Amino acid sequence: MQVLTLLYDPTCGLCRRVHGWLAEQPKLLELRMIPIQTDAARRRFPKLNHQLTSEDLTVISDEGAVYFGPKAWLMVLWSLCRYREWSYRLAAPELLPTTRRVVSMVSQHRSQISRAAGLSR
Amino acid sequence: MNIEIATYLCYLGISIALTVWVAHTLHKNGRIFLVDVFHGNEPLADSVNHLLVVGFYLINLGYVSLALKLGYTIAGAQEGIEALSVKVGTVLLVLGGMHFFNLFLFSRMRRRATMRNAPPPVYPDAFTPVQEV
Repeated sequence: MQVLTLLYDPTCGLCRRVHGWLAEQPKLLELRMIPIQTDAARRRFPKLNHQLTSEDLTVISDEGAVYFGPKAWLMVLWSLCRYREWSYRLAAPELLPTTRRVVSMVSQHRSQISRAAGLSR
Repeated sequence: MNIEIATYLCYLGISIALTVWVAHTLHKNGRIFLVDVFHGNEPLADSVNHLLVVGFYLINLGYVSLALKLGYTIAGAQEGIEALSVKVGTVLLVLGGMHFFNLFLFSRMRRRATMRNAPPPVYPDAFTPVQEV
């Protein structure tokens, strides 16, 4: 695995913020970020259900492995030099349910969070 | 030579010998760890090993020299040996602490290095063909 492609929602302020943060982080893998439901995304992943990608973060490896929602977030952490250890901690059986709950909650309320934090356009 | 001077000399002799011995052990056995951490890059491993040992010497000899002063007079040989024992005991504890700290550094470096090749934390949800553009 050399490259991870992130399909992110450019209309969400929180996602744009995370996008900017990710760009500055030292990485162990190449991260490519493509906005969801664009021609670029459809061209690269012709068989993917692009409707679903608007619901939560989607990460796809260069080998075609699709990670969705909490798993996608864990994969993003895994790709970063400083947070690879954390990805294993958060994916451990004791913590995974909590990780899922927190990530799903943040994803569902991302527009409210963005508004509250003043990140919306 | 009075008893205080004798105690000081014994203290210095024992502490310096202990520091040299621990540093030597660290230098000899830490090398294998570091070669593994740096993926067989032996010059780099030797360099880091040497730098660690220099730091180890500086901290320990610094402590030994700071802790030399007794601050009271000794009446006889018995008190001299007791004072010596307290001093050498603290030096041993400091050496032990430093040694474990070095081991911790080695193991952390090694864990970081092995983590680079570790597999993903979760299994994928699905597979999709990728079109290289």
